[in-house]
Amino acid sequence: MSRPSKERLEARGVAVAFGGIRALSGVDLELRRGEVLGLIGPNGAGKTTMVNVLSGFQRPTSGSISLDGTDVSKLTARKIAQAGVGRSFQAARLFRAMTVEQNLSVAAIGSGLSRRVARERALEILDWMGLVKKADHRCDSLSYGDERRVSIARALALQPSFALLDEPASGMNDAECEALMEVIAELPARFGCGVLLIEHNMKVIMGVCQRIHVLDGGQSLAEGSPQDIQKNPAVRRAYLGEKATDSTLAI
Amino acid sequence: MKSDTMSFATIGRFWFPVLALVIPLAIIVVVTGQFGGLSIQRTVVEMLISIVIVVGLYVFVGNSGIISFGHATFMAIAAYASAWQTCCEMLKPITMSGLPPFLRDQSIPLLPSAVVSVLLAGGAAFLTGLVIMRLTGLAASISTLAVLFILNVVYSNWDSVTMGSASIVGLPTYVTAWLALGCAVFAIVIAYLYQTSAFGLAIRATREDEVAAAASGISLYWSRLIAFTLSGFMVGLGGVLQAHYLGTVSINSFFLSFTFLALAMLIVGGMGSLAGAVVGVVVITAMVDIFRRLEGGISIGAEQWSLPAGTQELIIAAFMLLILVFRKDGIMAGREMTLPEQEQREKGLING
Amino acid sequence: MANIVQVLVDAIALGSLYALVALAIGLVFGVMRLVNFAQADYITIGAYALVVPTASVTPPLLLGALPSALMIGGVLVVVMALALLTERVAFRPLRNSNPSTLLISSFAVSYFLQNLVMLIHTGRPKSVGIGQGLANAVEIGGVRVPGIQLLTMVVTAGLLVALVLFLKKTPIGIQMRAAAENFQMARLLGMPANRVIALAFAISGLLGGAVSLLLTIQTGTLDLRMGLMPVVYAFFATVIGGMGSLPGAALGGFLVGVASVLLQTYLPADLRPFRDAGVFMMVILILLVRPQGLIVTSAAKERV
Repeated sequence: MSRPSKERLEARGVAVAFGGIRALSGVDLELRRGEVLGLIGPNGAGKTTMVNVLSGFQRPTSGSISLDGTDVSKLTARKIAQAGVGRSFQAARLFRAMTVEQNLSVAAIGSGLSRRVARERALEILDWMGLVKKADHRCDSLSYGDERRVSIARALALQPSFALLDEPASGMNDAECEALMEVIAELPARFGCGVLLIEHNMKVIMGVCQRIHVLDGGQSLAEGSPQDIQKNPAVRRAYLGEKATDSTLAI
Repeated sequence: MKSDTMSFATIGRFWFPVLALVIPLAIIVVVTGQFGGLSIQRTVVEMLISIVIVVGLYVFVGNSGIISFGHATFMAIAAYASAWQTCCEMLKPITMSGLPPFLRDQSIPLLPSAVVSVLLAGGAAFLTGLVIMRLTGLAASISTLAVLFILNVVYSNWDSVTMGSASIVGLPTYVTAWLALGCAVFAIVIAYLYQTSAFGLAIRATREDEVAAAASGISLYWSRLIAFTLSGFMVGLGGVLQAHYLGTVSINSFFLSFTFLALAMLIVGGMGSLAGAVVGVVVITAMVDIFRRLEGGISIGAEQWSLPAGTQELIIAAFMLLILVFRKDGIMAGREMTLPEQEQREKGLING
Repeated sequence: MANIVQVLVDAIALGSLYALVALAIGLVFGVMRLVNFAQADYITIGAYALVVPTASVTPPLLLGALPSALMIGGVLVVVMALALLTERVAFRPLRNSNPSTLLISSFAVSYFLQNLVMLIHTGRPKSVGIGQGLANAVEIGGVRVPGIQLLTMVVTAGLLVALVLFLKKTPIGIQMRAAAENFQMARLLGMPANRVIALAFAISGLLGGAVSLLLTIQTGTLDLRMGLMPVVYAFFATVIGGMGSLPGAALGGFLVGVASVLLQTYLPADLRPFRDAGVFMMVILILLVRPQGLIVTSAAKERV
């Protein structure tokens, strides 16, 4: 399916400094609708900062963010979310005293739906993710794995054009992780969105992503297809050198 | 999901938390009306009015998680507005000579005057909220305190209109137990519809996690402003009821002591749920009533025995602190009245 | 001309008094995110400790009967002990609660203490004559300054300097500042919470005691709500100064005090009773322009 070239979330020359520490310097990144883009790099490479910048939670010190060709660098996180950039957090950050369905409905409401339609959309997504039986559970009673899945479902309930998933599988066991990756791989086709995926498990990321962007020390190190990245000597040195083997699981 | 036709069971389950509050209240009114003494009946009416006020307070504080010290302001605005419109037609030109002629020289019928007063309270809450809801939670709390003080200073000194810190006496007293019950039920229903609406869900999300709410496209400012305004209307209704129950209005009854008592009710019951607000009112009203009686003196055999005046305040404050330390989410712990089956579902013991 | 100098003296005296109270509030807020309403009652109870509990409106003196040095020491010790007691009994069990819960608990503590004083001393205002010699005016460069104003300025200036030195030079003072700047980080870096928090309360008690003495000498009356206005002013001071910033609290305190005196002086006579409303309105307007306060710290922001 071919899409107009403007359907993308782009970062141009993004730099972020916390006091004296440069978390990102001059990063260009482009996320297209319909693809899964992996964002990898060693700890402290600036991956989460990049997601924060793209979702409006971190104002870049310099550089710009554009969404479908419009500059959104000055917008608040809430406006960017409404414009179609959904995200999940490393810690699930669910609304703990609310039910699963309500968690999703909040995001659906945030995207402009009425309460009733929001509920329908929430149940649709939950059904698709196999969570519909837990719709009325309060989130403080969920298992860890369900918490993580609900947090992804909530990002999807926003009806995003772009979903930014920050280590969605962290702490999951192999089977859970594999199941989740099947879900993520299906997202572009099912919701027509682009997915940015931060993930430590190399095997997973190689299997799911069409393209991979590597950050190291706040700078772009490489970008390309999984095969290119796997072969790239700089990546192997910077990223894999820190880990024992290329199949190391995070945490 | 059958979305087009709602079954009776679905409707029943939706309204259960409201019915579980409203039916006991109605029973209390009927029973005390039949068998209770005059002083018990007074306590019941005061309790119902407190429910209107505390449920109104809950609409903002409970749903947003931001403590407000300012809601007595909106009550006072409504109570005074109602006094200006309905009180003591003969004396008004003398005691409140600064009123504009259309208020000074005539009385306005009760119903329209009540409506206008409530609208005024809500309008004041909206204007205040426009400014204060921009602030972070704690700064907003303290600013609501500023609002309370501003109104207190103004009304205490605006002698020609408010009679300063003196009481305005002689408002028509039309509030009966049934009217108070009706208003309490109305407040509970409004609060429930609000908290289950899109707006209610949105603001509860900001209470749980501001960051995740922003990432879900929820506006902190607007959702708080809506809650603050609605809650201003509701406590305004409480103010009108109180004024026309007691027949007097005095600015000192809308200051810190009152604010404390209203917040104590909300905290003790649990500010996280509508049921908490209502239960808190019932519990604190009962405690206040019991200790007031003990302070007034009781006879044990031939002995006349009484607690020193002021004990009641100490006990309420201590009780509230104990609740905060040992059960910080209050008696109801943030839950609504639910059918046992529903509760198990929420805990994840039943699927589907 | 003399009049303006007079107004300035008043403004500085009140401003520095409010700055003291604001610092007491700010210190405790810094170490445990508690906005402490009970500070008002520390001040009130310190003043009431001067007299014997009776129903009389001109009660016999208790601590007030002691020689000055002992009286001052006595009041300071009473208030510090009270501050520590409230910390131990009410606030320590709530230490890990959110700021809203802490705020409401301090409201309850304050209400409790206020009613306790009422139970013991009755609610009637009382008159008490201590430090009457200070009422005499001192003439400095052609301007007559009441002795108490002078005393207030000297005492507050002395306490401010001592506090700044303490916060900048001693290890525990530095930890306290670090906590105010970044609470989580200070906790992570192993701030000895019990000690630092207790010390912050002790200092807030010390400052409260000083304020109660100054206020009592100034007005010659005791009133259940005598601590309320200074503390409410101090609350607003910490908010417009920027929550969590100690220099901000001092600056804010100074500003609201000065504003209050200026309004009192320059408002037309029939608007003067509305002075406090004017100051509080200003507070809200400042917040409209600078919602984070004048000095923004990390306490005001949440990192994702």
